[in-house]
Amino acid sequence: MTNHPTTPGAREHTFDAIVIGSGISGGWAAKELCEAGLRTLVLERGRDVKHRDDYPTALKNPWDFSHRNKTPRAVVTANPIAKKCYAFDEATAHFFVKDDEHPYVQDRPFDWIRGYQVGGKSLIWARQTQRWSRFDFEGPARDGFGEWPITYDELAPWYSHVERFAGISGNYDGLETLPDGEFLPAWEMNDVEKHAQGKIMGAFPGRHVIQGRCAHLTAPQPQHLAQNRGQCQARNLCYRGCPFGAYFSSNSATLPAAAATGRLTLRPHSVVESILHDPATGRASGVRVIDAVTKQATEFFARVIFANASCLNTNLLLLNSTSARFPAGLGNDHGLLGRYVAFHNYRGSLSASVEGFEDSYYSGRRPTQLMMPNFRNVRKQETDFQRGYMVFFGASRAGWQQGNHAPGVGAAFKDRITRPGPWGIYMMMQGETVPRKENHVRLSSDRKDAWGIPQLVTSIGYDDNDEKLLRDFLARGQEMLEAVGAKKITARDSKQNPGLDIHEMGGVRMGHDSKTSLLNRWNQLHACANVFVTDGACMTSTGTQNPSLTFMALAARAAQHAVAELKKGNL
Amino acid sequence: MNRREALRQTALAAGAAALWASLPARTWAALAAPAGWSATDEALLTLIGDTIIPATATSPGAGAVAIGRFIITQATEFYPPQSIDTLRRAVLEIDAASRQRFNQSFAALSVAEREQVLTAYEAARQSGTHPFRLIKELTLLGYFTSEPGATQALRYDPIPGSFNGSLKLAPTDRSWAL
Repeated sequence: MTNHPTTPGAREHTFDAIVIGSGISGGWAAKELCEAGLRTLVLERGRDVKHRDDYPTALKNPWDFSHRNKTPRAVVTANPIAKKCYAFDEATAHFFVKDDEHPYVQDRPFDWIRGYQVGGKSLIWARQTQRWSRFDFEGPARDGFGEWPITYDELAPWYSHVERFAGISGNYDGLETLPDGEFLPAWEMNDVEKHAQGKIMGAFPGRHVIQGRCAHLTAPQPQHLAQNRGQCQARNLCYRGCPFGAYFSSNSATLPAAAATGRLTLRPHSVVESILHDPATGRASGVRVIDAVTKQATEFFARVIFANASCLNTNLLLLNSTSARFPAGLGNDHGLLGRYVAFHNYRGSLSASVEGFEDSYYSGRRPTQLMMPNFRNVRKQETDFQRGYMVFFGASRAGWQQGNHAPGVGAAFKDRITRPGPWGIYMMMQGETVPRKENHVRLSSDRKDAWGIPQLVTSIGYDDNDEKLLRDFLARGQEMLEAVGAKKITARDSKQNPGLDIHEMGGVRMGHDSKTSLLNRWNQLHACANVFVTDGACMTSTGTQNPSLTFMALAARAAQHAVAELKKGNL
Repeated sequence: MNRREALRQTALAAGAAALWASLPARTWAALAAPAGWSATDEALLTLIGDTIIPATATSPGAGAVAIGRFIITQATEFYPPQSIDTLRRAVLEIDAASRQRFNQSFAALSVAEREQVLTAYEAARQSGTHPFRLIKELTLLGYFTSEPGATQALRYDPIPGSFNGSLKLAPTDRSWAL
């Protein structure tokens, strides 16, 4: 229930727009809304992280870490979920949620990796950025499990908009399955990767090996220098935060741009408990915030609210936003809120050795790898599973770690292991999963967090389609590595839990039909038009691409629509 | 924009250089002595580590980076609890092997004799994971992530500036430390 007019200090607590969450999509919403003239409040549940000043490990050497950047057993024991993330270590642990501080209930095993601070996971993302293709937007309808209310052509200009500002490196590959964007120069392949590219593309027409596309400034343009961001230095220590501002994050790019308008109010330590619904207007009037430190409740009001709390937290927030009109959660007239959650299937990988190329080496640490856009079921259904997968791969030479398993001691041993060792090649999958109604999140009926908010229950798992898709990737990967001439090929199923991909999507899905979806084609709740959801929660399907670029484009597009609707008096 | 210019424009302007200069110079030798281990044990582990990675013409050995203390501390704080027992067993077995073979403690042997003892110990069959592997792993980790190991035995470039995918490797070239 809103108490807008009578809240003490209501005037100071009233803004044109509220953005819940300061991560990769919230940052974009804030920038676009502020630049369009709206006084915008960004609520972030975690602490402030100032670009550069709050990257304490960014320039440390290996010997500056008391555990040489390995994670001590005590930290591993205290964080059984976070420690599974490849990017969690002594240098980055301060950007990850500690498991015991933010419990949730796993109905089925789900590794929920979170970053609660200003910038959210945009500080610790993998920075791989690929556009979706028309096949990805058309896929759910073709395969009968959903319907995107937008087309690739509608989103394309918004991809361009965010790419130009963020800075995306890549080649113009001319592939229909992975449309080109606004690119800065691509990273290079090494000699073994070029060899693999030639062998695979020669043996398997239709399987394209291209350089990965990533949000790194390989050649900063005037708009990037204006953001005080500089060229990528090929350090590949990105998860610590980049002192050069060379990769895109909310902290380095969108939040400073929003602040530069003079219209941004950024409020850290603000846990949003619920969105307030006003029955008189049929709209959301504001949000209820619990101070993360004092646990005191406050309310803030605005005409437009953007939910960008991260996929599952946005689900939690809407589920917890109950009112007389929406007893099952905001916008949830049909019980579909929290359902059709999907993710990416990361279980399969292969590794092998490559003989020869002994006088070839490389310098610098490239922050991306090679990739192969999906080639399965692209134009029609061809296999015994639905959808497909993207493949990532790369080659490198063994470093000093080759000595761990090599026999020997003394000067000759030392000499041998300090020279580049044999070449190795690896492949990994990023598979689409089909959103299932039974894959869902809900609120715990009895457990609450430290702020009195119900804990989230995750009930998300693999199904038979995922197993078939995995087997296909392992078989295709094997045949491709054989074509490369690789030896000692090892295929692996990590059996990792859903969630560890950190690509969870859905639960508040977009769609034309308000009976089968939560959000319209502009990311507005069908049933509450001034609430926009533009983080991973809005996704109708997962595609095979890394999703952040699409969240950014959707957020910018929705923000522009919100401004237009406000001007027309529709919100 | 070249690397030097990029550095000047971004890192220096942002005070990154100051951050760099203010880093604590932590070394393992400066850490507290681990509980439950005698100075003799630690010295013996340092000697074993220094035999695995000895000083050579261009770089110091593992003994120069207090490798014994690193091995004990890392095994205690990072590895599963049973690793401590493995480590103790390895230390006892290596010393016993040197007494059996040369009738002297490991510490009293020449470098060549120490190498013989360790080579034979590493080659000896063991049920389960060989204890020597733990010592070797920790020696390599501690040494190659130390300043002398990374910068003298290997090539360390904290700010490469760019990626070159095709570099002709000369026979004398060392691996990158990172």
